[in-house]
Amino acid sequence: MKMPKILGIGTATAVGALILAACSSSSSTGTTPTNAPAYNSGLTTVINASNAKTSGTLTFEDFGAPDSTDPGDTYYAAQWNFIRLYETSLMTYASVPGPGGLNLVPGIATGPGTVSTDGLTWTYHIKPGLKFSNGMPITAADVKYAVERTFAKDVLPGGPSYFQILLAPQTPAYKGPYKDKTPGHMGLKAITVPDANTIEFHLAKPFADFNYVVAIPQTAPVPPSVDLATATGGAKYALNPISTGPYMVQSYTPNKQLTLVDNPNWVPQMDPAAKQLVAKVILKMNVNAATVDSDLISGAAQMDYAGGGVQTAARAQILSSNALKAKADDPVNGFIDFMYINTKIAPLNNVHCRMAVEYAANKVDTQTAYGGPVAGGAIATTSMPPNVIGYLSSDTYSFNAHPTGDLTAAKAQLTACGHPNGFAVNLGYRNDSPKQTAAAQAINAALTKVGITATLKGFPSATYYTTYAGNTAYTHSHDIGLAMGGWGADFPTAFGWYDQIAAGNAIVPAGNSNISELNDPVVNGLISRIEAPGLTQAQRNAMAHQIDIQVMKDAAFMPEVYAKSLLYRNPALTNVYVQAYYGMYNYAVLGLK
Amino acid sequence: MTAPIELTPTAVEAGPESVIQGLSAKVIEGRSLGQIAWMRLRRDKVAMAGGIVVLLLCLVAIFGPLLVGSPTVYHSGLIDPTFSRPKGPWGGISLAHPLGVEPITGRDMLARVVTGAKWSLLIAFLATVLAVGIGVVMGIISGYLGGWVDSVIARSMDVFLAFPLLVFAIALVGVIPTTAHFGPIHASGLTLRVGLLIFIIGFFAWPYMGRIIRGQTLSLREREFVDAARSLGARTPYILFREILPNLVGPILVYSTLLIPTNILFEAALSYLGVGIQPPTPTWGGMLSDAVANQWYSIDPMAMLVPGVAIFLIVIAFNLFGDGLRDALDPKSR
Repeated sequence: MKMPKILGIGTATAVGALILAACSSSSSTGTTPTNAPAYNSGLTTVINASNAKTSGTLTFEDFGAPDSTDPGDTYYAAQWNFIRLYETSLMTYASVPGPGGLNLVPGIATGPGTVSTDGLTWTYHIKPGLKFSNGMPITAADVKYAVERTFAKDVLPGGPSYFQILLAPQTPAYKGPYKDKTPGHMGLKAITVPDANTIEFHLAKPFADFNYVVAIPQTAPVPPSVDLATATGGAKYALNPISTGPYMVQSYTPNKQLTLVDNPNWVPQMDPAAKQLVAKVILKMNVNAATVDSDLISGAAQMDYAGGGVQTAARAQILSSNALKAKADDPVNGFIDFMYINTKIAPLNNVHCRMAVEYAANKVDTQTAYGGPVAGGAIATTSMPPNVIGYLSSDTYSFNAHPTGDLTAAKAQLTACGHPNGFAVNLGYRNDSPKQTAAAQAINAALTKVGITATLKGFPSATYYTTYAGNTAYTHSHDIGLAMGGWGADFPTAFGWYDQIAAGNAIVPAGNSNISELNDPVVNGLISRIEAPGLTQAQRNAMAHQIDIQVMKDAAFMPEVYAKSLLYRNPALTNVYVQAYYGMYNYAVLGLK
Repeated sequence: MTAPIELTPTAVEAGPESVIQGLSAKVIEGRSLGQIAWMRLRRDKVAMAGGIVVLLLCLVAIFGPLLVGSPTVYHSGLIDPTFSRPKGPWGGISLAHPLGVEPITGRDMLARVVTGAKWSLLIAFLATVLAVGIGVVMGIISGYLGGWVDSVIARSMDVFLAFPLLVFAIALVGVIPTTAHFGPIHASGLTLRVGLLIFIIGFFAWPYMGRIIRGQTLSLREREFVDAARSLGARTPYILFREILPNLVGPILVYSTLLIPTNILFEAALSYLGVGIQPPTPTWGGMLSDAVANQWYSIDPMAMLVPGVAIFLIVIAFNLFGDGLRDALDPKSR
């Protein structure tokens, strides 16, 4: 998943991270006699647990805007979290604090999928009697249609590409329902709907983690009759998505405000992991990042949508006041902040030029730019975070030995790549993110020392992946050889971490997450084999480590920090806790006192 | 422009007796208009102070970047890792960093404000040159030729003055390509952006100068020396640029001096809005924007004070000097 601010989230088994965080919280706070919320207690307990329904308005504020409000077109972690307020996928994540938040529970499905003996067919049953917010019944065909839409990358470029990769291919390749000439636009053969409440996914090869895949918002049902109408469907579906969650869209002005109200057709059994506790939810967009913080602290808003942590000024305010600090949590959120190094754009298409970047960057300055060890995180040395299964510590470019950069090694690599005096390249970053802006300048300053001129190119968050850094035509025509990024695993395995950012077949023209355009046969092979049946966990772990080492040798990523984010929980909120899967507060269960 | 009667040699000639007396006492030297203005300016202490500050800041902008350290190098060691603010009081002031360092990054504030002076002043000066150049040519043509030429130029000045400039500038700067080609000139990155900023700021400021020059020309063209030149067969360009223009040097100087601080503020505003010079190149507006938008003022007030005071100083110094210059060159307008 992409991280809106700087941090990502991960799906990852944030287990390790949470345990660490829990330890540090208990050691720092000592024994608290009462149950009063303390610093980091939102990591392990639900603060203000309550099922009381109020007529209040829950206000989110975002420094940018969601990448898309369409369940089939979004890839930002914050939006995956937020979209559960109005969309429900087949499976979803248990709404509990701690490591349990990585476990799947049924959404609109009756239970986890059952897999055929050959491992190729996964079957799910839809809970009977469910309705869309517009009153139409929810059927298995609506889920199939929702997945079909994700094949139409020309219309919905933003979401992940797991279904294209995992489902059995057909000839000619399926292009999405908008170009589908079969009756009912149900031409995707890899998904069958034997009856109104049953859906079967036919895979190209066995994939053990398929339940995680159907927990992605892309399986939230979409009614074909609405989506195929020119006025309300396709790219315009985002303007008024039909709800399958506790709230529904009342009004939406892109880049300004999204207003949700109670969905009258929602019943708690539709998504037991979500709650309908307030009358209205408002998401205000493009609010100055520092204003978001002051609004949270003053109570003008209750939640920071982006979930990447407070800015510098609010951090100083919170950490220097015991009262405020007790309302804050500092989770390791499972994201790595890193810089993509494009493997196709000259001169970075030469691996030695990429290695020069790895060696030359000053990791301490970058960490400081992200906010130091508390707000930024520890310096990352691997392309995979410690909380993904199979992680093994390594340090390919000796970041630990040379935290401020190894200029000698960098110059040697520059000579090896035929540019002994350096070269010029453009560095893309999100200019509405203060942390990324500071980090990009830190890298620019460090690279200058070996003659690499990285001209900074700031882009807006909302279109960063669709129009700019994640648009291969744009990056090539504008020489965006370096691009700031952050990533959290889509699910807590090496496949869930690497597939979309490092596999060659994940490169797409727009909404690209493999911004480095890494297409290394070794990496591709390992990623494609790691989910094969019959492998032991130890073998999978070994393969995960091999991928990490190879990706680092390819110098396609320059890891920056294993992200942490200082989150503030407004005291008016109920049911607040850090959801391990998102690395931020769980938005689906929030209520107001 | 009329010269002050009592000081011109012609005025002295008016009284032959005094001439004779004066000649016997001491040699009377005719003083040029420039000398007179300089004399008046020197008596105006406030204007002189402004002028000195302007001069100093210009020297700083020209030579300062060579003397200070790098404005882009990070000094993580000077930043408190928990709070991201400079270690030590007053924004981490030390011998090595006399104005302290920036929060988050530890970049040297002196280096940033001095380098910022270079860019802010460079853009403001060149934009002023552009505005004055266009304004003088258009104003002088409009005022001298009159008729339909005057109508067209004067109306287009009205259009420019009514233009929602800030909105237009934001839109235009927002769509700057990575590289651009103007015939044989290839510009990219910083050069292109600076060039475009100079163009936007200068091109839209010319009507202010144009109107003043037009007004002055309107009165000058009726004067005898212009009639004389015309009756001697001088062609229009000669009259415009050899007869009229030298008489406009005063107002041009004065209003240029007053236009520069306006342009400095405009550039700062664009940088503040994030459409000026892009990071990591520092400008005063950009530094101020960083400090305000990230609420650094609450953890380190120096981050806002330094660029704020710099902008304040240069703008007020230019304005005081410009006012003094106007008084000196044209006392009647006082």
